[in-house]
Amino acid sequence: MTPGEDTLQTLPASLMTAVEALGSTFGERLVERTEFRGELTLSVDPAAWLDILTFCRDDGSTAFDQLDSLLGDHLPERAEAPFAVVAHLLSHTYGHRLRVKTALAEGQALPSVTGLWPSAGFDEREAWEMFGVVFAGHPDLRRLLTTDDFEGFPLRKDFPLKGTVGGRVRTDLRGKI
Amino acid sequence: MNEERPFLTVRDGLLQPALEEAAQPGGRLCLPYGEAAGGEPMGGPVHFPGGIAMPVQIERVLGFGRSFSFWPLLFGLACCAIEMMAMGGSRFDISRFGMEAMRASPRQADGMIIAGWCSTKMAPRVVRLYEQIPDPKWVLAMGSCAISGNIWDTYSIVQGIDSLIPVDVYVPGCPPRPEALWQGLEMIRDRIKQSRHAYDGLRRIPARDLLAASAGEEPCAPDASSAPTPIAAPAAGTTA
Repeated sequence: MTPGEDTLQTLPASLMTAVEALGSTFGERLVERTEFRGELTLSVDPAAWLDILTFCRDDGSTAFDQLDSLLGDHLPERAEAPFAVVAHLLSHTYGHRLRVKTALAEGQALPSVTGLWPSAGFDEREAWEMFGVVFAGHPDLRRLLTTDDFEGFPLRKDFPLKGTVGGRVRTDLRGKI
Repeated sequence: MNEERPFLTVRDGLLQPALEEAAQPGGRLCLPYGEAAGGEPMGGPVHFPGGIAMPVQIERVLGFGRSFSFWPLLFGLACCAIEMMAMGGSRFDISRFGMEAMRASPRQADGMIIAGWCSTKMAPRVVRLYEQIPDPKWVLAMGSCAISGNIWDTYSIVQGIDSLIPVDVYVPGCPPRPEALWQGLEMIRDRIKQSRHAYDGLRRIPARDLLAASAGEEPCAPDASSAPTPIAAPAAGTTA
């Protein structure tokens, strides 16, 4: 049992049911379960990322029909798995929310969830361009916010904070804008 | 001169000989000024890109009218646009000066207010909007970010919009109060009355020079014989 188990009582009853269903289905692949002020976070095995999120969307007890956001993170103090991908889920059926995290090593690919929620397309593009997390199976993994010829991943902690680096102003974009 | 016309038009006497000369085969439009226009001290013609020159007193009349109907482009980049909206609202009310008609199309605008930071992704769009505004046009850089990049000395922000397009008036502040923008617009109006433009000594747009340099071409000058020394366009990547 995780330390957060005692405080699970403050969670909504529907979310407790959903977590029990997730735990009985995936078991050890739910690496960690934490709760903070009534918000539940599950850390999961990246190999089970797509299975768990598919279950979250399709199972009747979870029914997370909306992906609020999907984002990347860089934690260089974690030498083994410095990158993280976080998905925030919302269920309109029950009104409960869930945060699902996974830890990734440098260059480790994560399956895309654009097949579950099409809105993940832009989020995964942004997480890829800012952190270099590759989403396998993404239909259109291009840069979203920076220029097409940008070099580097600007939200990594080792990216230079100061100076115009990585990209430059493009003026030869006739017909593209 | 037609006595029934209260205002000066191009069909009236001053421009008529030049227009007739230009209508001849091989004729070139060369508008009169100085001695040819009656000997009044006028200080030379006003040049526009493309080799067109206008006598100064015509330009003064036009500038007087233009200064009361300067229509900026409806274009806000960042938080400075909030102050620009306040300037358009009832408290500060730029409609007192004929500037309230912010045009949503650059082809109807007389100039633009660069209100906020400009990212490298947005920069080509800003340049394109500037180029779509018909001459004569005036540009106001509003706020520290548009002037120098401010604290955003980072990977994604243009370090001063004047590295890409010519700027007439700089309004510092973070963001500037609407009063400061008002004063900047008054300075724009003075320049309109004087027919002074940021591109007068430039005759070219720095962004297009960067483009020509990247393509290995000579920068195009509309009038190479009399073109002044171009202002060195600071490349966006030279920040230390």
